[in-house]
Amino acid sequence: MDQQTLTDDEIVSAVLAGRRQDFEILVQRYSGKIIHFITRMSQDRDEAQSIAQEVFLKIFQNLPYYRKENNFSAFIFKIAKNMTLNWLNREKRTVLFSRLLAWEFNKAPFRQEPPLVSHHEQSERDGDIMRNLRLLPEEQRLALILKVYLEFSYKQIREITGWSIPKIETLISRAKSRLKKNIQLQERSREVVYTARKK
Amino acid sequence: MNCKKVFRLLSIYQDSELNPALERQVESHLRDCHACRSEWEGMQELVGNLKCLQPPAADPYFPTKVMARLPANRAAKFRLLPAITYALVFLTIFLSVFFLQLSYNNTVGAKKPQAATFTAVLLENQDLGLLAVHDNTLALFER
Repeated sequence: MDQQTLTDDEIVSAVLAGRRQDFEILVQRYSGKIIHFITRMSQDRDEAQSIAQEVFLKIFQNLPYYRKENNFSAFIFKIAKNMTLNWLNREKRTVLFSRLLAWEFNKAPFRQEPPLVSHHEQSERDGDIMRNLRLLPEEQRLALILKVYLEFSYKQIREITGWSIPKIETLISRAKSRLKKNIQLQERSREVVYTARKK
Repeated sequence: MNCKKVFRLLSIYQDSELNPALERQVESHLRDCHACRSEWEGMQELVGNLKCLQPPAADPYFPTKVMARLPANRAAKFRLLPAITYALVFLTIFLSVFFLQLSYNNTVGAKKPQAATFTAVLLENQDLGLLAVHDNTLALFER
């Protein structure tokens, strides 16, 4: 049978029956979306690749717990979400610890947050968006990324996050308003600086 | 429908998650209200810009890397080493608490004041004759 026509559930059954190599079809099918999701959440493209590898290993280990009545996509994104949030929390603690050590011993911190604008984002507008996405509260950012970049419905987001639909509506709406306001403010302040320099 | 309500529903409308009846009401309001339409256009522009961020370039070797790292046995089987570790940790905690308790009881027991005793003292040349005196009082006289 053609690999493309196999459903996720059929592949999962095959893997569970001992055809380990079939897991590669799932990796090929979902790696792009998973890496995109982790990149947008972590804002760190290099780290996203290694987190994504860990995510797929975890998915493989958890396949026996997948219930066919659930959505497979929601199942794997739930794992990706948990592992990314764990990584973000660990990273926050490491940065804080590094700052404390640096302050105590008067040295440069061994770990710093990634730059607000990565070298991958060339244009000013992309930089603004990346910066403001990162400044959003974690829950708002997660809801917005799942909706805008992964194009999940509110029901699928509920399956992934466990939040209620009204909460998801509020989080996404607030995230959009906040982003819009912050980007407008930045554009305005840039205009002011530009005009001042011209004078 | 007033502007306040439309403003609240705009994001849900944009995500195509409104029911058809509400959707029609929002659309009709947007046609007539300039302020809400301007807000809506701003929101459309924002989401358009968000979507402009390109997904990271795919690594063609990514599936191979994952497959190379897959564990030999998928199913989480009973593992002896963690079980022994947990048993040892539990036993250590249990024994520590047991012996601490024992040593605490012994220490406290040694310091416990003995029950007050009284000694019968024969009083010479007194009418009372016999008197029960507390040991501590007796010790004062003996010194």
